[in-house]
Amino acid sequence: MRKVLWLARREFSAAVRTKGFIIGLIIAPLMACSSGIIMVLVKDKVDIADKHLAVIDRSGVVAEKLVEVAEERNTNEIFDETTGEQIKPAYIIEIVEPDKETPDKQRLILSDRVRNGELYAYFEIGADVLHPEQGDSISRRITYHAKRAALDEIPGWIDWPINSHLRRLRMIEGGMDTAAVGEVIAWLDVRKMGLIETDSETGEIKHAEQSSKAEIILPPLAVAILLLIIILMGAAPLLQAVMEEKTQRIAEVLLASIKPFEFMAGKIIGGAGVSLTASLVYVLGGLIFLSNMGMDEYIPYHVLPWFFTYMLLAIIMFGSTYAALGAVCNDPKDAQNLTFPAMLPVMIPIFIIVPVVKEPLSDFATWMSLIPPFTPILMTLRLSTPTDIPAWQPWMGLAGVLAFSILSVWAGGRIFRIGILMQGKPPHLADLVRWAIKG
Amino acid sequence: MNIVEIENVTKTFDEHVAVDSLSLEVPEGRIYGFIGPNGSGKTTTLRMIMNIFYPDRGSVRVFGEQTYGACSDRIGYLPEERGLYRKMKIREMLRFFGGLKRKPSEIYPEVDRWLERLDLADWGNKKVETLSKGMSQKVQFIATVVSSPELIILDEPFTGLDPVNADIIKSAILELRDKGATVIFSTHDMSMAEKMCDFIFMIFKGKKVLDRTLTSIQEKYGHDTLRITGDGGSDVMQNIDGVEKINDFGRMQELRISHEADPQKIIAEIMSRIKVMSFEIARPSLHDIFIRIAGPEAKEVNHA
Repeated sequence: MRKVLWLARREFSAAVRTKGFIIGLIIAPLMACSSGIIMVLVKDKVDIADKHLAVIDRSGVVAEKLVEVAEERNTNEIFDETTGEQIKPAYIIEIVEPDKETPDKQRLILSDRVRNGELYAYFEIGADVLHPEQGDSISRRITYHAKRAALDEIPGWIDWPINSHLRRLRMIEGGMDTAAVGEVIAWLDVRKMGLIETDSETGEIKHAEQSSKAEIILPPLAVAILLLIIILMGAAPLLQAVMEEKTQRIAEVLLASIKPFEFMAGKIIGGAGVSLTASLVYVLGGLIFLSNMGMDEYIPYHVLPWFFTYMLLAIIMFGSTYAALGAVCNDPKDAQNLTFPAMLPVMIPIFIIVPVVKEPLSDFATWMSLIPPFTPILMTLRLSTPTDIPAWQPWMGLAGVLAFSILSVWAGGRIFRIGILMQGKPPHLADLVRWAIKG
Repeated sequence: MNIVEIENVTKTFDEHVAVDSLSLEVPEGRIYGFIGPNGSGKTTTLRMIMNIFYPDRGSVRVFGEQTYGACSDRIGYLPEERGLYRKMKIREMLRFFGGLKRKPSEIYPEVDRWLERLDLADWGNKKVETLSKGMSQKVQFIATVVSSPELIILDEPFTGLDPVNADIIKSAILELRDKGATVIFSTHDMSMAEKMCDFIFMIFKGKKVLDRTLTSIQEKYGHDTLRITGDGGSDVMQNIDGVEKINDFGRMQELRISHEADPQKIIAEIMSRIKVMSFEIARPSLHDIFIRIAGPEAKEVNHA
């Protein structure tokens, strides 16, 4: 054991003292957050130039209202409430008299104006929109014509004011009191709220707070990405490191002093040390940051013990596999070829984060999180969601990961022992299986 | 007592027989030199002693035991290709390698002593990647011997060393032997093997062809070598009765004479043709014996 720790100590200090580790410690979370940061930055970077829209109103009842709604929007909705800065474009509506003789020609002219950038888009309001039952499929429709109509927000914005205006007109025509119309067409949103709970200190019932997407998605996402980064830092480099030790014949020198299994164990413990250091830096940094920002409630404290347990087992499980794969490589190209398939079990959970976070209790989420290579990331992810995961599941996952880790170490150790001294052409998968079974 | 006992060992790689029915005994406290052409099985034999390879047949016993797995704290091994952590500092790396076999408190002073001994004291805090080939060779040597192993196995320890450094390593090996270590080394440097080894072992195409002391090897061949320095070159020595082969070294010619021939007559014949500056009737050098066994001449005999 002394030798294992001696080797682990070197592994650890060799990894931690490099500039790469220190830079990686800063860069890895930045990279992971950068997509979020970019999204936030880009969100405000919308084009705020005025958008000129033309409307051909064949019904004669909508265009004026449209202008009114747009003006109201331009006054009230396009500026940031706190800074007063314009954050959205203004919509300028131009009413075009319908050309009854040659409607297609008029449409072409407007389309050309859109094409040359003079207009952003144009609407065409059918003649029978007020009484759709009387019209045909053409005369009762409202159309929106733009270069990228399907992606535009404008039709979504205009749907509601046009329809409520038309309903109001229909009701008044039908003889309803103008005052009552407002109530009839009033629309109420469903607000998405969290659950009621008692305050643990005062025992009082706390009111539910409005639930935001960020609150539900961010903590699990952060925990899963963090675990991925830690596994990539602690276990993944073993493939490359063992390959280098083998090709540079350091392995031969080491094996004169240490048994192959001790060699592998030392490397994995060193990797686990690296992971533990990095994760402590991240977790403590995150905790201090969040509590200073007054966002304590976002910290999933109950997940931390599971996080560290799963992390260490993941390092053992993936580390032994990567060390064994590194041992069968004869040159950097072999290692490159193996990297992608080797990383796949670590990456798959990341691809299915969204469905798992949305429905952490679905059969899909449950079963995927009980497949040992996926368990560390997916189970921690599920535990970090506000949903209560049945208590047996993390333990069941733990048992699976533990069993799988023992299997990986056992098979990896056997493959490592043979592979590390083998030169010449790289072995086939069948050889690896044979080595693992026969030893 | 024999430190290493190899008994009837055969090792095959795919179709190729690397070592064929080999037996060998290495006595304690001696220097045993392995010679043989490239690809003849030297490294394979050393690796089998190290238990890096297992023999297909036969047995290898080290310290009287048949062990499994390469690791033994009693053996120091210098592999043929250098294996050093390029990014580590030299002193730190040597402490690491030594610390794998013995307690750090015992190893640290030894590391400093050896760095001093091999003229590397100023390099302790430099990274391995800054070393020249010869210097990394010396560092690798220290990594092998720093834990004071009882058996030292050196695969080509003199490769890449200039004569000064080769001499430093040679005297270090002799010092280790004098302190009781048993040393096995393979080399292509025949003069070094001649000077240092108590026993010479030659392997050719996987088979043992020589295994005895240098003196007894040379005795087997007798005084059949005549070295002549003259001013005529090898041309004037052609067609002399009793001369089997002329080895031209430029200024000096080495003649191999048949057992029945009289060296005196041959010298007289040569002196009658050219002015002879010096001559010597000697036993063949190890180099010559090596070539006789493994050179083109041997192949001709084999093919005949």
